[in-house]
Amino acid sequence: MTSTRPELPREFVASHKRRRMMQAIAELTADKGYEATKIADIVRQAAVARKTLYDNFDGKEDLFLSAVNTTLTEMRVVVEEACDRSEGSSEEGIVAGLEALLEFVAAHPAPARMCMVEAISATPSSARIYDTGMRDFVDLLRDNAPAEADLPETIEESLVGGVAWVLQQQIRRGEAEQAPELLSELSQFVLSPYLGVGRVVDTGRRK
Amino acid sequence: MDRLPRGRHGLSPEFVAQNQRKRLIAGLTQALYEVGYQKTTVSLIGQRAGVSKSDFYKHFESKDDCFIAAYDAAIERIREQVRFACEEAKGDDWARRVRVGIDSLLKLFTAEPALAGIALVEGLRAGREVYDRYQAAVESFVACLRQGAPASPGGGAIPEATGEAVVGGIASMLGRRVLAGEADRLSELFPEILEFTLTAYLGGEEARRIVSAG
Repeated sequence: MTSTRPELPREFVASHKRRRMMQAIAELTADKGYEATKIADIVRQAAVARKTLYDNFDGKEDLFLSAVNTTLTEMRVVVEEACDRSEGSSEEGIVAGLEALLEFVAAHPAPARMCMVEAISATPSSARIYDTGMRDFVDLLRDNAPAEADLPETIEESLVGGVAWVLQQQIRRGEAEQAPELLSELSQFVLSPYLGVGRVVDTGRRK
Repeated sequence: MDRLPRGRHGLSPEFVAQNQRKRLIAGLTQALYEVGYQKTTVSLIGQRAGVSKSDFYKHFESKDDCFIAAYDAAIERIREQVRFACEEAKGDDWARRVRVGIDSLLKLFTAEPALAGIALVEGLRAGREVYDRYQAAVESFVACLRQGAPASPGGGAIPEATGEAVVGGIASMLGRRVLAGEADRLSELFPEILEFTLTAYLGGEEARRIVSAG
């Protein structure tokens, strides 16, 4: 008798398993931190064999680094696409990017916590990946910022660092889901060097 | 920190113990800056401090224990320095006090790069307990910055998140410079950091005017 279960392509299953393991380490580290997360917890949560984990990754750190890297890349792509989609002024592009970032955090609280909070202190390599990720956001802001000749060279770095800090506090308070409520305040902060302060920033459908 | 004279010196045991403790804290801070957390051993801390390994354990249970004490001491020194500078400029307007505060902070870090290292870099990487301390320190500077801050020139309120974002942004930028081995040049960032801070409250034009007026 043949099985009624449809056969899924092998690559699909493999990449699905990789994603499950990355999701599992995100949830576990968000919950109890990197140190306390064990391989046994990961394979149980991801419902994969221990061997599958070692077939795909060198071990816990390698899996963690891949997961952090993947999340940071997804985050950047989402923001970049939102900036590109916005056809208005560069200010509107920045607000759209910021909105996409906050919505990403709200929709993926555990991966967001993993890459923005845990990664900083988990291992030296994860701290480096976090740093590279932040540098990418600095470049992204620079590329999308209104041309303003006179600003300090480090302005985008300070702005990105500030947004990251506010988001980290939000995540650490366990309020990642409410991150989109920060849109108006963070937009004003990020646009202050370009637009001035106290101007009402149009954040679209949000207040 | 200078060692005490050997042999008979008539100093009280409490004084000697206090002095040793302070030297160990300074020794750990220095060792961290030189070789990083992993390679900072109790022997190296003792060497830098001029205190024997067995005396180390009279003061601290472990390297971690000493690290926490050193972290608290570092934050306290930084806070004191900025508080003192702001106190001196008490009668001045907000922008002036911000200038004085940032200036004193950067001067302290430039003079003592090891202090910048433990406070801004190691503090973020040493696990949750120390991170909580880092966060509390940032928060205390947010309160400082908000004190007497002007209302928004456009009429709207300055958003709640602005103070947090400014201080967090400065801390992370400085941390990255320290990590790149530029701790002794942080003072060079003074005009940029001042302009960034004032811009978030006053807008770019006014901030530039104040920065260039000196």
